[in-house]
Amino acid sequence: MPEPVLEVKDLKVHFPTEDGLVKAVDGVSLSVAPGETLGVVGESGSGKSVSFLTVMGLVTRKDAYISGEVLFRGQDLLKLPPEEMRHIRGAKISMIFQDPLTALNPVHRVGNQIAEVFQVHRKTSKKEAFGEAVNLLQLVGIPQPQARARQYPHEFSGGMRQRAMIAMALALNPDVLIADEPTTALDVTVQAQILELIDRLKQEFDASVVLITHDLGVVAEHCDDIMVMYAGKPVEFGERRDIYYGAHHPYTWGLMQSISRIDQPRDERLKPIKGQPPSLIHVPPGCSFNPRCPYAMPICRKETPQMIPVNGHHASACHLPLVEKERILKEEVLVRR
Amino acid sequence: MSVVVNERVEPQPDTQRQPLVKLVGVKKWFKLTRGIVFQKVVGHVHAVDGVDLEVYPGETVGLVGETGCGKSTLARVVMRLYDLTDGELWFDGQDISHMHGGDLRALRRDMQMIFQDPYASLNPRKTVGAIIGEPFRLHGTVPRNRIESEVKQLMELVGLNPEHFNRYPHAFSGGQRQRIGFARALALRPKLIVCDEPVSALDVSIQAQIVNLLEDLQEEFNLTYLFIAHDLSVVKHVSDRVAVMYLGKIVELAPGETLYRNPKHPYTGALMSAVPIADPDMAAQKKRIILEGDVPSPIDPPSGCRFHPRCYRAQFPICREEQPELEAHHPGQVAACHFPLEDRAVLTEGSSEAAGSAS
Repeated sequence: MPEPVLEVKDLKVHFPTEDGLVKAVDGVSLSVAPGETLGVVGESGSGKSVSFLTVMGLVTRKDAYISGEVLFRGQDLLKLPPEEMRHIRGAKISMIFQDPLTALNPVHRVGNQIAEVFQVHRKTSKKEAFGEAVNLLQLVGIPQPQARARQYPHEFSGGMRQRAMIAMALALNPDVLIADEPTTALDVTVQAQILELIDRLKQEFDASVVLITHDLGVVAEHCDDIMVMYAGKPVEFGERRDIYYGAHHPYTWGLMQSISRIDQPRDERLKPIKGQPPSLIHVPPGCSFNPRCPYAMPICRKETPQMIPVNGHHASACHLPLVEKERILKEEVLVRR
Repeated sequence: MSVVVNERVEPQPDTQRQPLVKLVGVKKWFKLTRGIVFQKVVGHVHAVDGVDLEVYPGETVGLVGETGCGKSTLARVVMRLYDLTDGELWFDGQDISHMHGGDLRALRRDMQMIFQDPYASLNPRKTVGAIIGEPFRLHGTVPRNRIESEVKQLMELVGLNPEHFNRYPHAFSGGQRQRIGFARALALRPKLIVCDEPVSALDVSIQAQIVNLLEDLQEEFNLTYLFIAHDLSVVKHVSDRVAVMYLGKIVELAPGETLYRNPKHPYTGALMSAVPIADPDMAAQKKRIILEGDVPSPIDPPSGCRFHPRCYRAQFPICREEQPELEAHHPGQVAACHFPLEDRAVLTEGSSEAAGSAS
């Protein structure tokens, strides 16, 4: 196996609040291989965004309790002084966000904002940097890049703003691009354009991509490996086919059964997961999914399950015996599809 | 009073029934003005630009389209929250296009709306009991001393704990807030509920709960839904028929399954191919049609077929010059295109058979 570009080991991010300790991320481990697209799936509050904000060194709250390791090419980013981290962030690892309008500065021209990347990291002249920015805008498929570079973010449509963000993120040819719900705010047609663009640029720039999303469809079409998160912890990890055709965790099953799929006849009733996602302050003891799990056993309320590998890559954190998982998967989960 | 028979939206499975809602050539334009004192009209946003649609009692009609296609405006026109610029709006056999004042208020007993953001649509200073009971107080349909028990019944009906009667909206989760919205909408036993993106703001696992609630309530109260969402999978799941809007016009209308398997309008085809499918094998069978660019401005919509600048099948000059009319294709399907797609243009394989054999 090739050396992973990015490796996270037992990452924990806890925030003290007036109501108690928020365990936003509580033991995340993962690795991203070169050229791979990793999908991170979870609902709001599952810790998927905070995990990667921490990877980027963007969790700036002084009282946040962060532990674990974030290894980028073997170097622990969490131990890096802020000045050195600045050379990595945006240059080696870059990130795009859900809402490109809030991520872009409204009072600066789009071209200048992209150019700033070159000015800061490469110390290029302003004029040269602006030229580079125009090239990038062209690369991400913005028509009339010369004119567009002189416009302000509000003059761009949602899809074009996301393209501009991608241009900025790829400016310095990073090794890892983290995309946090990059298409959630966009229409399906534009979503398809943006995901296609990320796929294409990933090839061209030879980068790895981490795609954070709640949409199981997006993941199915664009990711190699998938990690499912729940209440700050990974509950299942595997290759795309492991997750879609051989999932072993009740939460993954629940997610698959609760979504309405366009390729299914409409008389099929959806099977929602009962209850609500837990509060991250009062995470249920044992397996945090146990109050919503239809298969919960007494042990689930007492002991936290560990990620147990099944075959090579595929792992899940659930107390159910493997035989039982296979039976439920075959008899209850896959039947419906 | 004569009912105008609309010929363009013809192939209905059940033409004997009278439609509950009927739109004939409905237009809603918004003025664009310049200047502060003397506001000169410099143009119009053609948000809804000539829509014919019939919604029959007990059915769910879905409305899909990209941002800015006018679907939310159309919903608000149906609710008469906006006045019509042109055209006719019929509700339950009555022309309500120009209804005003008390008559309109009385009419709203029969039509209610549910919004996308359940928090913004609930008054944070009122208890849930007061919010759900408000329609009773306004319309006086229930004596005051019985309001509380009625409200508790409604709360139970939508899956809320009636003991939470005195809580405030902030104490509820997103899904629960949407349930409060449903309870309020149901209070007056309406005939029509217009749902504007009712599940878009919710987490995936909660969306299914609300979609199922929607279906249960429809069965119990014989409700008619106009269901708007940008998530095509959800729309297809809940709707009997789906209307696809592009720049203020309906370009295709068909039963969801027909729309998915055999879209006729190239825009529908592109939409269908863009919907991600949560199944890698099935997704691989799909042709990808990626549209270029964004939706043009509705201030000055393109001539002829409005989709022609982005269309991958457009032929000139006809598509630029002639506006296509809605024409019948499969049963219940109409589409407005000069060069409609062949059957199975997006899906290469029948996916339901494949799914059956997988188990």
